[in-house]
Amino acid sequence: MRRLICLPCLVCLLFSILLVQAAHAKEDTDDSDEVAFKDFNLNIGDRIDLGDYQMELIEIQSVRDGLVVMRTSKVGGPLDEQRALLLDSPNNFDGGAENGGITITVADIFDEQSAKVRIEYQKSLGTARKHASERPAAALDKPELSVQKSFERNQMSVGDEVKVTLTVKNTGTGQALGIKAEDAPPLPEFSYVAGYPPKIKETLDSGQSDSAVYVMSAVKDGSIRVPAIIVSYTDAKKNAKSNSSEPFNILISPKSKADLAVKLAGLAPIALDGESMLNISISNSGTASATRIEADGTVMPSEGLQVTGLEKSFFEIMPGEEANYSVRLLGQKPGNYTIRLIVNYEGGDGSVIREGTAVVVVLGREYKYQYLLLIVPIAIVIAWMYRRYREYKY
Amino acid sequence: MLNVLMLGVGQCGNRILDAINREAFGGGGAANLAKYYLRPKFPSRVETLAINTAINDLKELRFTTAKDRLHVPNLHGVGANRNVGKQAFMDNRDMIMGEIEKRGDFDIAFVITSTSGGTGSSFTPLLINELKRQYRDITVVTVAILPAREEGSIYLQNAAFCMRELMEVDAEGIILADNQNMKRFGGDIASAYNKINDMIAKRLLFLIESLDSEMLSVTDLGDFKTVMNGGLRIGTMGFYQADSKNLSISDAIENSLKPANLLYPANVADDSARAMIIIQGSREHLDVDEITKEVERLTASAGHVFKGIVIKKGNPKVLSVFTLASAPELESIYAQAARGMQDEKEKRCRARKQLDDAFAHIEDLEEIY
Repeated sequence: MRRLICLPCLVCLLFSILLVQAAHAKEDTDDSDEVAFKDFNLNIGDRIDLGDYQMELIEIQSVRDGLVVMRTSKVGGPLDEQRALLLDSPNNFDGGAENGGITITVADIFDEQSAKVRIEYQKSLGTARKHASERPAAALDKPELSVQKSFERNQMSVGDEVKVTLTVKNTGTGQALGIKAEDAPPLPEFSYVAGYPPKIKETLDSGQSDSAVYVMSAVKDGSIRVPAIIVSYTDAKKNAKSNSSEPFNILISPKSKADLAVKLAGLAPIALDGESMLNISISNSGTASATRIEADGTVMPSEGLQVTGLEKSFFEIMPGEEANYSVRLLGQKPGNYTIRLIVNYEGGDGSVIREGTAVVVVLGREYKYQYLLLIVPIAIVIAWMYRRYREYKY
Repeated sequence: MLNVLMLGVGQCGNRILDAINREAFGGGGAANLAKYYLRPKFPSRVETLAINTAINDLKELRFTTAKDRLHVPNLHGVGANRNVGKQAFMDNRDMIMGEIEKRGDFDIAFVITSTSGGTGSSFTPLLINELKRQYRDITVVTVAILPAREEGSIYLQNAAFCMRELMEVDAEGIILADNQNMKRFGGDIASAYNKINDMIAKRLLFLIESLDSEMLSVTDLGDFKTVMNGGLRIGTMGFYQADSKNLSISDAIENSLKPANLLYPANVADDSARAMIIIQGSREHLDVDEITKEVERLTASAGHVFKGIVIKKGNPKVLSVFTLASAPELESIYAQAARGMQDEKEKRCRARKQLDDAFAHIEDLEEIY
């Protein structure tokens, strides 16, 4: 009995095994019609072999438009077609992958030389393989513009004029077309004197450069962020590109002025009929050059001190520099004299006057032993009075 | 230029001489300092010499130089004793006369002394004799100061004997000044004497200046000698300076002869023998006719009057010098001196008698020990 019970169980087990195997056999038959896909990164000239199919990347026709030209052929078959493929658009050959053919989709265009391509096909066709092209890569026709915007100096003062230079250079391999420079908007801290807006050649061949200069005058002080200038262009394939310069900061100081200080030195007392030199120093402690400097002076009282060479003129005294000259003094009469030097100059903000004064002492004639004039008479008087006292002393 | 010798003998003579020296420095308080830087300004060549036996009297002098002070060594003065004084003079005669001789020759000498003191009253007569003997042509005039009557019997006695001796010497005359008359200046004794001294000094210097000046109307040393030889050969001086309220010269002359302005009280109209009127002042004040009339009026009573007029800027000043034909005041002095001497003699006799009576108590007794 026990054998009778085990036998039906064994039969059931065998039947179950047969059912499972039958199910597996059905699945294997369906795999041969299954569509598979595979992505390839192709350079121009690279080829994909799939069964009898061959697919070659011919050209990146337009990166901007997403057009790639590929050639598809079938060995021993009528298919030999060169077609422009649109980015992300599946393209069916021989009915497409669903119908035993192949479907090609441009997944991405890296640049003018390479693109990512997806191949869809039935597994029954085999395995897709990539064959790299043995041809050298064709020379690129790719313009690349470098843009540089520079100021003559990064620090200036209100009222200073500054040159701005815009330089564009084609560092790429192709010709840049339709070049346009956009240096806008105008900065409110400047008034534009000449040359604005800058104009650059519309076309620059590879290695060629062009520059434009314009002049501005600073009108407002402060720290200014100079924005980037944007240069837009296209390559020969009308691919639009743009490049920009690096923004940078400049500092505009308040309006620079010249500040002259007049110093008169070397004022030792002068002996009567003696000579001396008075050294005059005119120093510019301001931030701008002083120009048209004219020095003249007066002596009070006017008689008794002869001053020669007090009048002097200088064309310019740079900031931080000084001009020196000497004046000859001749003492003719004892007394105190005041020399007043008046310096007139252009200091960047109109005419400015500065003054300097010095007191010169002309000594009286010194007589040696002059004190005896006092002592001797007193001594004589005392001696005389003592003598008289002795005369009357009894 | 006159060569004048002024001798101050004794304390009184020394002080008057010092006042003369002070006047030569300008007088007043300024003279105290002026002596240290000025020389005395005398109108002529004047030599002064102060002679005294008392060294302390010489030390009191302020305006007389040390070399013009002659100390005659005789202890400390002669104690108003004329006999001691005479002896001291005789003992030191050569020294005194040698000191005078050092000062050169002189035309006139004024010997200024008090008649009542010891040194002055005893030295002066002897000194005058010596001067007359040593300087043959010299005119010697004594300026004799009479004491106040209440100064004491010895002073009166000295004055009496001194005056008699002065009259006996061969001097040209005596100019008298009487302290009794001049005490009226009032104030304390010292200031009164100082005023007397200053008054005498000014008049003597005025006289010397006038005798040595160019005059509008001339009087000279000869005239002065003639005046001093008149009458008793005793004279005095009057002085008046007109003020701006009354510049009349005739009034000034009259005022100079008034007793109040005289050194010795006298009635010029009645007692004068000869006179000299010296007038000094600005020309506009000196009316010669007026002066002449006034002098003529005076001549009617005084016998002969010399007049001298000196033109000098300032108000009129008049110095009158005259000799007396009679001196009643002197007689009263002598009478008072005699009474004093008699009283002294009687007092001495009484005292002697009292002493003798006292001694009589022990006349027959011996000392017992």
